[in-house]
Amino acid sequence: MMPLAPFVATTVIMIIIGLGCLMFKRDMVRLLIGVEILFNAANLFFIALATQSPGMIDPFAHSVVMMAIVLDGTVIAVGLAMVLNVYKHYKTIDIRKLRRLKW
Amino acid sequence: MVAQDFIINGFQLPLPLAVLLLGGLASPLVGILSRKFEVKKIQEAWMVIVSASALVTVYLLYQTVKATANEILVIGMWGQAPPLAGCFEIDMLSVFMAGSIGFLGLLVAVYSVSYMERETRLTEFYTLVTFMMAGMTGIVMAGDLFTLFVFWELMGLSSYALVAFLKRTWGPIEAGFKYLMMSATAGAFLLLSMAIIYGMTGSLNFAVIADSLRGAPSSPWIFILFSTLVVGFGVKSAIVPLHTWLPDAHPEAPSPISALLSGIVIETGLYALTRVLFLAFEPGMFKLPMAFLAVLTMTLANVTALLQSDIKRMLAYSSIAQIGYMLMGLAAGTAYGVMGLFLHVFNHSIMKGVAFLASGSIVHETGTRDIKSLRGVGKMMPLTSISLFIALLGLGGVPGTNGFISKYHLFSAAFGSGLGWLGIMGVLNSALSMAYYLRVMQVLLGSPDKGFKAHEAPILMVAVTLVMAVIIVFLGVWPAPIISFATDASEALVNGLSTFIGAVLG
Repeated sequence: MMPLAPFVATTVIMIIIGLGCLMFKRDMVRLLIGVEILFNAANLFFIALATQSPGMIDPFAHSVVMMAIVLDGTVIAVGLAMVLNVYKHYKTIDIRKLRRLKW
Repeated sequence: MVAQDFIINGFQLPLPLAVLLLGGLASPLVGILSRKFEVKKIQEAWMVIVSASALVTVYLLYQTVKATANEILVIGMWGQAPPLAGCFEIDMLSVFMAGSIGFLGLLVAVYSVSYMERETRLTEFYTLVTFMMAGMTGIVMAGDLFTLFVFWELMGLSSYALVAFLKRTWGPIEAGFKYLMMSATAGAFLLLSMAIIYGMTGSLNFAVIADSLRGAPSSPWIFILFSTLVVGFGVKSAIVPLHTWLPDAHPEAPSPISALLSGIVIETGLYALTRVLFLAFEPGMFKLPMAFLAVLTMTLANVTALLQSDIKRMLAYSSIAQIGYMLMGLAAGTAYGVMGLFLHVFNHSIMKGVAFLASGSIVHETGTRDIKSLRGVGKMMPLTSISLFIALLGLGGVPGTNGFISKYHLFSAAFGSGLGWLGIMGVLNSALSMAYYLRVMQVLLGSPDKGFKAHEAPILMVAVTLVMAVIIVFLGVWPAPIISFATDASEALVNGLSTFIGAVLG
């Protein structure tokens, strides 16, 4: 059984990095990367917990993570398609220029 | 015969879900054929047929579930015993929600035939709508968190694309990107909560979660789990302060999609939150946080709705306020409160459906969404306006409409469970909300400016809104059947938990 503490610490650090990326970056592609970091934090936590079952590494968590990777890949793909459309309209991918919707 | 066997009898799906998924997969082919042979309206007819047969199969499912022991039907997806593999666990609540989805989906499909006539890319549109309905149906039937997550993302992906569907202007793209960012972040938190649940119980199956988590001694992990769950499901169901995407995304989507999003997608999020909270925690644990969120949600949404000048945006804020009322039922934590919640989900899906579809007809004919410039539309589009009036009165909770019935049950559930202040806040908010509904009615009934002309909407659109308005009044006058159905549904969730566990673990 592997120690869990380093993985939990890494997960927390990755969540902080991801949220920070969402809060402080202005490039829309970087925002999507921030979401990807958050997803990967959750995936890492899943994999780390799979080592905790006695005597074996649980394949269930691995199959869930496989599907989760596919799913977040599709979300990011749709997001990138939207970034392309934003670029066609605004000629920029700076999120701070997209401020017309308010209230 | 409810579960559909595929290929070799290894892979099973509940029938409504199979109909919607196969219908969605076949939809592009139908589009190609209709373009190739230049026959019009096949795509639309296909969408109507698929959603109608989904509704019919939900009825078949209802009868099957009624006939099974304990009224719970377990379908192992890959032919495996449920606690190990993904599964569907269908009880009365699932059937109730699937029925609401199918019903509103069918009406919206008929409405879109006329509304989307002038648009291009209809094949993509109808395919995405079918998959969105399939995603929601999958969520309400899921028997484990992983199945729920897969269908959650299916619903999410189709709704992102549908919000940004009219991409010639800047509004839908901007709203769609905002919606995508917030929902994807919430999806990551949902995955995190799944990981925590997996770490605590060793499984993602609902029955195992309920068996081992409920009544567990409180630890820091329980609180982390609770907050990640609320963030994960709360963004989709637009609980304040996680609501900021909704007032942008819902008005910018095409009107039939606004009706689906406001009418049933956010409620599906609320369904998932309710289901998982009742499975994982005792009601005493989430009572107060949910009551606090309910008050925050309805007060903030009602006050902000007063300030809106865009009719669809106002309706979007009204949806957030209705989510606040529904949270009151969750905060009550009793079977009666949950009955009020799901009764309001159904009633709200009809009312908000009419409100968005009728205002969609008005926007379609006049080309403006500004409330002030709609003065006098009531005389030019009388039928549409009448159905809009009935819907707005229902949303405000006027006696004689179904909105009154479900709000009455929600408020009395709040009083009955010792949260008197919550009930009082609900009544006050309900009164406040009439202010902005009445403002719209006053404007529509005013005398028109010179040179402002509008025609009555196409017959199909008017017919759909009128039928739904009649249903609103009908269910307000004779609510007994739907109340007994909702009571069955809530009993299955709150009191039938041990049979829910027993159906899988034996």
